[in-house]
Amino acid sequence: MSKLQIPIEHEALRNGLQVIVSPDHSAPVTTVGVYYNIGFRLEPRGRSGFAHLFEHMMFQGSENAGKMMHIRLVNSSGGVLNGSTRYDVTNYFQAVPSNALERVLWLEADRMRALKVDDENLRNQRDVVKEEVRVNVLNQPYGGFPWLDLPPVANRNWANAHNFYGDFSDLDAATLADVQVFFQTYYAPNNAVLLMLGDVDPQEGFVLARRYFEGIPPNANIPRADVSEPPQTEERRATVEEKFGTLPALAIGYHAPRRRTPEWHAAAMLDQVLHGGRAGRIFRTLVLEKQLAVDTEGGIHYPMGDVFDYNGPMLMVTRILHKPEFTADQTIAAYDEIIGEVQQKGITPEELEQVKVKFRSDYYSALEGGMGGYLPRFGLMHFLACFTLFDGDPSLVNTILDGFLAATPADVQAIAQKMMVPTNRSIVLRQPVKKGGA
Amino acid sequence: MATPISGPRPSVPPALAPERAVVWPQRTVRTLANGLQVVLVESHTIPKFTAQLLFRSGNAAVAQDSPGLAEITAAVVRTGTASRTSRRIEEDLRRMGADLSTGAGADSSSISFSGLAEFADGLLELVADLAQNASFPVGEFERERRQRLDELKIERTTPGFLAGERLRKVLFGAHPYSVVAPTEEQVQAYRHEQLVDYYRQHYRPGNALLVAAGDFAAEAMLARIEKTLGAWQGARPDTVEQPEPPHLRGRRVYLVYLPDTVQTQVLVGNTAITRQHPDWLRLTLANSIFGGAFNSRLVMNIREQKGYTYSPRSSVNALRQNGYFSVHAAVRNEVVAATLTEIFYEADRMRALPVSAEELDDARNYLSGVFSLGLATQDGLAGQLATVYLNELPEDYLETYREKIRALTAEDVVAAARKYFDSANAQIVVVGDAKQVRDQAALFGDVETYDAQGNKI
Repeated sequence: MSKLQIPIEHEALRNGLQVIVSPDHSAPVTTVGVYYNIGFRLEPRGRSGFAHLFEHMMFQGSENAGKMMHIRLVNSSGGVLNGSTRYDVTNYFQAVPSNALERVLWLEADRMRALKVDDENLRNQRDVVKEEVRVNVLNQPYGGFPWLDLPPVANRNWANAHNFYGDFSDLDAATLADVQVFFQTYYAPNNAVLLMLGDVDPQEGFVLARRYFEGIPPNANIPRADVSEPPQTEERRATVEEKFGTLPALAIGYHAPRRRTPEWHAAAMLDQVLHGGRAGRIFRTLVLEKQLAVDTEGGIHYPMGDVFDYNGPMLMVTRILHKPEFTADQTIAAYDEIIGEVQQKGITPEELEQVKVKFRSDYYSALEGGMGGYLPRFGLMHFLACFTLFDGDPSLVNTILDGFLAATPADVQAIAQKMMVPTNRSIVLRQPVKKGGA
Repeated sequence: MATPISGPRPSVPPALAPERAVVWPQRTVRTLANGLQVVLVESHTIPKFTAQLLFRSGNAAVAQDSPGLAEITAAVVRTGTASRTSRRIEEDLRRMGADLSTGAGADSSSISFSGLAEFADGLLELVADLAQNASFPVGEFERERRQRLDELKIERTTPGFLAGERLRKVLFGAHPYSVVAPTEEQVQAYRHEQLVDYYRQHYRPGNALLVAAGDFAAEAMLARIEKTLGAWQGARPDTVEQPEPPHLRGRRVYLVYLPDTVQTQVLVGNTAITRQHPDWLRLTLANSIFGGAFNSRLVMNIREQKGYTYSPRSSVNALRQNGYFSVHAAVRNEVVAATLTEIFYEADRMRALPVSAEELDDARNYLSGVFSLGLATQDGLAGQLATVYLNELPEDYLETYREKIRALTAEDVVAAARKYFDSANAQIVVVGDAKQVRDQAALFGDVETYDAQGNKI
């Protein structure tokens, strides 16, 4: 087995900004990312959806780069860009021809130093975000299912249980003062990591990072919300209306073990055994063999991320779209049979070996692309950033697989017995209001 | 370690550094004795490879008999061969760390796959098995049929799908490109032997292209392909003559009524051209300025200034025998008329006035730069090569694309806009709650209303 070894150079600037360079000169393309250690889980109470709304505001202008300038300069340099808000991080990233590196650093530094936005920008982006919520959630069949439906049922801490996309009333209540306070609080260099990957010389990268970022003042008092979740002691259930789709759907979530523990490694392998594509036990049994489901998907941190990129309590989720001729209870019973078999009989070494090969293969693909391929090294950037911000160790990119590949069939069976119990799970039924035209 | 450099922070962005040369990797192009065209490129970014086995026929080839037949054939191809059950296929893939998907569009059918380089032999053997020995188990066919019926139910509640389906019907009329999905009745009518026939006639080496990019030695990969696919036989099937799309004059509005929607899907389009057409790059550049990029006029106008929508875009869509230009935006119900007004305003501005030198330069840089991002990943390379060879574009297409884009002028942009952003004859599709949006839509042309099943109401 060939082992992938990613070169990593790491420095911290005097203001606390972590800087990571991973050189690879095979193509004249550089990926630049800035990650802030703040996600929707940590947004202020009474301001649901604010972390995401704020992400939009970061494209509205900074001291020396007015509205649209960041986008125009990246596009006109031949690059693409985007940002996203997740549980525990918000990221801003671009892939550009390598001759645009310095320009991109200037842009990212300008908006880390001084966001400059007005009420008109806020009103505009509030409207845009509402249309985003409509197109992705409110006006789509199964919109937001289950990433918005399951957390409020499974969790008790507001940080983990609120509407991450935001209630419209909360979005409406957000003010420009909120924007500046959030910026001053969380968007400090000592709460961030800057990444330069691909066609970049490390020494040049660090020199440029110091030139553009080192003068930005840190924030000595970055608050850390308590995201801990009290242990669950009974099964939780809820029903949500499905306005458009005519097939019933349900989602089952179990609290997963703590990240970076042996149980977490075993749970990730169990996740692959259950949810690993068409060979996974759930799809194979429910869709291909028993044919009571139309589709099944799932995973730890499904569908917003993966096993690596979060930093707090997380669910392992199964989403099942099933045929109307089967009830939810019948579907859950068939699901429970699959889980029961793993709990009672365990899995074979052969099955585990297959799953490990696939896990390793998927990891490599994630490093290289990871976002539909349009953004080279998105996954490498993402993992380096998360391992730096959450674990203080970007070199985990080269070693993190080892723990997963060491899991045994007994470990997988044990975690199935411990984690996948009714008292640790939540079920949400998404029930169509219209009947199918079958 | 080093002393921080605390020099001045310029208030203007730094200029671009000198550009590094964009060099497309050498590729190995061979046509095997059985007609299979093979295109290989080495890329050692990760210890994997990615490939597409493409057949130059799809749903359009059989649309007259059975819409969607190529698609369901592709779905059943992966479910069994003479020597492997469905479960065995999926587990073989997993043990090689591989992903595989099969599918079909209007013009092609595909088996796409990727996996660890260390298992290249086994993965190619499996793909060769699917391409040559698919057994079409009856139970799997019936399961896929029921699956397709359930998927159709969901598609017909999805605004974006309904808009695209209606626009294609309007633009392409009697041409098979008008059909993007079968009806439930058509799916019910599929017969097992039709799938087998389709497979026998179209899954042939003379009709196929195999593109692969990844961590292999090209010569060794070629030998492997010879070994697994060299004995396969079958010539390219005859192509079917298709009727011409209609020549549409005047704007019309097609309202797909989806009750109780809280947003309206707007889609506007005209027929356009294939990738082989001499205007293709001109139109691509004009589209990029109009609405094809984040930094485009349409996005600036209806998103960044007016906040009507989240992700509006325009696109040029190439099919083998034709193509179309379209503009889409999902907007709040109150601003349907306002959105259409701005779309036509921006289209007409593109037609009437030359773009500035700066805007032209920005867009040329954008297209030429983004094109080279494809160099950095195995998927990017394989995708670019598939586009070139499937569409039978010139051999030097990749190498000359950037210079051709950079040679385009403001006159080229206006000429393309006048020809293809044909706002006076644009066809308008609106998917939403008729009660809330019909009056707004009717301002732009006579309205025909349909339900989600495609029935005129």
